[in-house]
Amino acid sequence: MRGLAPAFLLILFAGCAIAPTQPATQPMQTTQTPTAPTAATGPADVTLVTVDSPSPLVTVRMMVKAGSSSDPIGKEGLARVTAESLIQGGFGPDGAVVTKERLAEITQPWGEEAMPAVLHSADTTTIRFVVPRDVLDRYIATVLRPMLTAPRFDQSEIERIRTETAARISAARFEDLENLGLAAIDEYVNEGTRYQHQTWGTDQGLGAIGRDDVVAFFQSFYRPGNIILGVSSSNGAVTGAVADTVRAMNAAAPQALQAPQQAPATRFAGRHAVVIDVPNAPAAGVHIGFPFDLDRNDADFWALYVANTWFGTHRDSFGRLYQAIRQERGYNYGNYSYLEHWNGRTSNLFQVFNQPRRQQYFSIWLRPVAHEYAYPMMKAATWELQRMVDQGLSDAQVASAKNKAKVLYVNMGETIDRLLAARVDDAFYGASGGFLENYLANIDRVTTAEVNAALRKYLQTANLKYLVATDSQHAEALAAQIRAGAPAFGKSLQEYQLEQVKLADGKVVWQIPDEKVEMLRVDALWAHYPLNISTVRVVPVTSIFRTGQFIEESR
Amino acid sequence: MMRKILIGALMAVTLAAAGDAAGQFFPYQIQKRTLPNGLDVLVIETPEFKDVVNVNTLILAGSRNEVEKGRSGLAHLFEHIAFRHRYEDPANSYDTRIEKMGAFDNAWTWFDVTYYHPVTFSSNLRDLIALQAERFVAMEFSERIYRTEAGAVLGEYRRNASDPGLRMDEVLIDLAYGPKHGYGHTTMGYLADVEDMPNSYRSGKAFYETWYRPNNAVVLVTGDVKADEVFRLVEEHYGKWKPGKVPSLPKAGAINGPKRGHVEWEADVPPRIVYAHLVPAFDPGSTEGAVLALLPELIAGRTAPLYQELRYQKQIATEMAVSRMSAEGFDARLLETYVRLDKEKFDAQGRTLFSETEQALDRGFSELKNFSRRPDAQTTLEALKSRYRYDLLSSLNSPANIASTVAWYYRFERDPKVLDTLVTAVERLTTQDIDAFASRYFTPANKALVTMAHKGAAR
Repeated sequence: MRGLAPAFLLILFAGCAIAPTQPATQPMQTTQTPTAPTAATGPADVTLVTVDSPSPLVTVRMMVKAGSSSDPIGKEGLARVTAESLIQGGFGPDGAVVTKERLAEITQPWGEEAMPAVLHSADTTTIRFVVPRDVLDRYIATVLRPMLTAPRFDQSEIERIRTETAARISAARFEDLENLGLAAIDEYVNEGTRYQHQTWGTDQGLGAIGRDDVVAFFQSFYRPGNIILGVSSSNGAVTGAVADTVRAMNAAAPQALQAPQQAPATRFAGRHAVVIDVPNAPAAGVHIGFPFDLDRNDADFWALYVANTWFGTHRDSFGRLYQAIRQERGYNYGNYSYLEHWNGRTSNLFQVFNQPRRQQYFSIWLRPVAHEYAYPMMKAATWELQRMVDQGLSDAQVASAKNKAKVLYVNMGETIDRLLAARVDDAFYGASGGFLENYLANIDRVTTAEVNAALRKYLQTANLKYLVATDSQHAEALAAQIRAGAPAFGKSLQEYQLEQVKLADGKVVWQIPDEKVEMLRVDALWAHYPLNISTVRVVPVTSIFRTGQFIEESR
Repeated sequence: MMRKILIGALMAVTLAAAGDAAGQFFPYQIQKRTLPNGLDVLVIETPEFKDVVNVNTLILAGSRNEVEKGRSGLAHLFEHIAFRHRYEDPANSYDTRIEKMGAFDNAWTWFDVTYYHPVTFSSNLRDLIALQAERFVAMEFSERIYRTEAGAVLGEYRRNASDPGLRMDEVLIDLAYGPKHGYGHTTMGYLADVEDMPNSYRSGKAFYETWYRPNNAVVLVTGDVKADEVFRLVEEHYGKWKPGKVPSLPKAGAINGPKRGHVEWEADVPPRIVYAHLVPAFDPGSTEGAVLALLPELIAGRTAPLYQELRYQKQIATEMAVSRMSAEGFDARLLETYVRLDKEKFDAQGRTLFSETEQALDRGFSELKNFSRRPDAQTTLEALKSRYRYDLLSSLNSPANIASTVAWYYRFERDPKVLDTLVTAVERLTTQDIDAFASRYFTPANKALVTMAHKGAAR
């Protein structure tokens, strides 16, 4: 076994081979064939991305560059239903139909991941599967080729998928406060754009989807020129077999639907809030966001990435928000900030790739706090963001954030599959330097001056949207509090476990340990920070995810 | 609880190795030493993951060990406290030093164990081992810090409580085990206990002093390291950890079922059922353990007749799953089947849909008693074995995942060959073994279930 230690693993952790303070010098051995017509007038070809791996298992990630943002208005959820019914709706010719039950039988001995699974996103839909290489030909012949070239989109399966997706919407409203808030802030910040509904669609949209819509979506967007194909192999026979199969898909099918023009993010002036009334919410989730023009290709991306690591590293105790709100004061379970939207934040410790977007937004996620603290925490988070932008970060803060950011790489790039997924995203963004391949070197190059310039250029607090999901008893009261805009303290001295002592003259005073003085000073600054929120709406949770509008108009 | 596992690189190594050495499944050498204080130290060298090291500490105590009345949730609280070691001395606090070093640090708590799993660059090996040892050997935390952290745990409870699943779990395990057994409450603890946690400092300290002992722990290091150096460092830093007497815990009794509970939920959510049978304490080399390994796919895999009936034919269920790892415990655990029901059907039909589903589940589980008579029994079993092997292999795709998989199974018999043992037991299974398991455990007396519906739902 020792002798088998394969080269690809050395490559995988090439970046880590260098101490944290040194740049990565050895790029990943990957190749990328850019989109190129096969003939001068022929259709555009598949973009093939590979990661070298001698593994007998082949991972395939087929990214379609269309997702929920391509759902026709009034048919929200179509991208999802199409992808799911491509897999579960049966495929193959009469007499040799691979139903979903048959598909399960075929793939069962090859492991759970041989069953194709879909990652739904706004601008992309990614189908992923893992197959032992020695059965790849069989897999292509019995599964992949008939699925992509002869899908049946069985009507009853579409119905079932629609019903199940509708159940998801209901669950999203009532069963998971954190994901509800994360979905709702996405819609609120992107109100008026193609991003204002989730991949699961809307009650109305799902109800309007018919089989013809599914076929049209499939034929229009599942086309070779619209595919980024990631394969964990550099063996031409392997990648060629998969790519040729994808090339046969809809090569000459009519294209009824067009990709929608990407509307620029809706800019808004001032601060606004929506309070969602969730009947049984046991606590209040607080979310803040605003759209901005930054993606991985921007020269400033890595500087802001370092700043965001300092401010709100996902699911980590490092960030300032976490430190201030959770660690020092014990308000909740965690507090984070994001430069990119991605789903799965409640269940994944590290970013889930293959959810790239053409337009991003900055956001803050405060995990649920007791209802009465929602308003003080809105102030706290805004003050913290404002302070970071105004004061910038010190050399020491930037150095420690860079150190932290590098450690994240140890997990973010820990498997071949993650490297492959990142390469697929690179192809989507047209990134000149690979996100993970150059991660450590890119972090290393960031200077304090760049961090502070990027903070001033991209982040701000003048124009923000706040979304709070809280229970029926507190929703109106919170809105009133926001409108009144009075100073508001969170935890009291008693709640901080501070003690009172009686002095010799009989006076009773609070005993404040030295290390708590600064915390209490900041508490006062938070409390008196004016939010000046110009509009506040309270809406029942049943009014979201209903129509293509963020909030159903009639409600 | 365990990280979602991605297929990846190591498959190459594992499959090749499995082919090279017949009978040996696990491709790595596990080197083991036991210190005089009883601490087991395991090292798995994975030099191909260059310059990465994981220093994991497995404490063989979780929420099952919380037997003091009114003090459930301490194991989980203690997991939090372990990150607050010397917190009031900012220059030397645990988290300051972790940050300075540059490590990713996290942990999880389960019924049986608590697992701490920091990862960093292997140039930090010495510092990381020293720091881990320091916090486990002599943790320092004040009552004030303890109270603050108790507040964070309440926040975590609130976060989880928006999902009716937590409440359903609470009701189910209380039905099955009652308050006297540690499996009778979730790892979060009872809400009243969590609310009172700030006042549990003394109990918390006692929990630490009783269970955080070297003879009740395993240190597991994976990555680009040399075993000799790891052993030397662990001895140097963990050697002074004083062993203690590890108390025995109450044994789970019979359910004396069938037992049923119901949760009324404030919000208008789709109804659910969690349907469970008590299964034996997990023994990785046993036939029953091997059956348990395959049962989730046999019951709720996409090819399973019961799954197809509920999900596809009757379309009663919109989701259905069986949790394998949750059934693998030191003591008898529940094999739980979760079913989410179609809301429209339920709204039309009311609670008769619960009984209809329960009957279908009863029938499906009962049919496993005659599994060997199915015409496709043998091919199904072989497909499941193949799948199990691929899935287990795919879990070994990074140093962190290798460590957590080994730790999860090593704890049972403290046998470094446990993964080989497990796979061998699965390979040996016959169709009649499934019949025997089902006949013994899938009985009404051994059953408990909990239903959940919106409080205004039709009856």
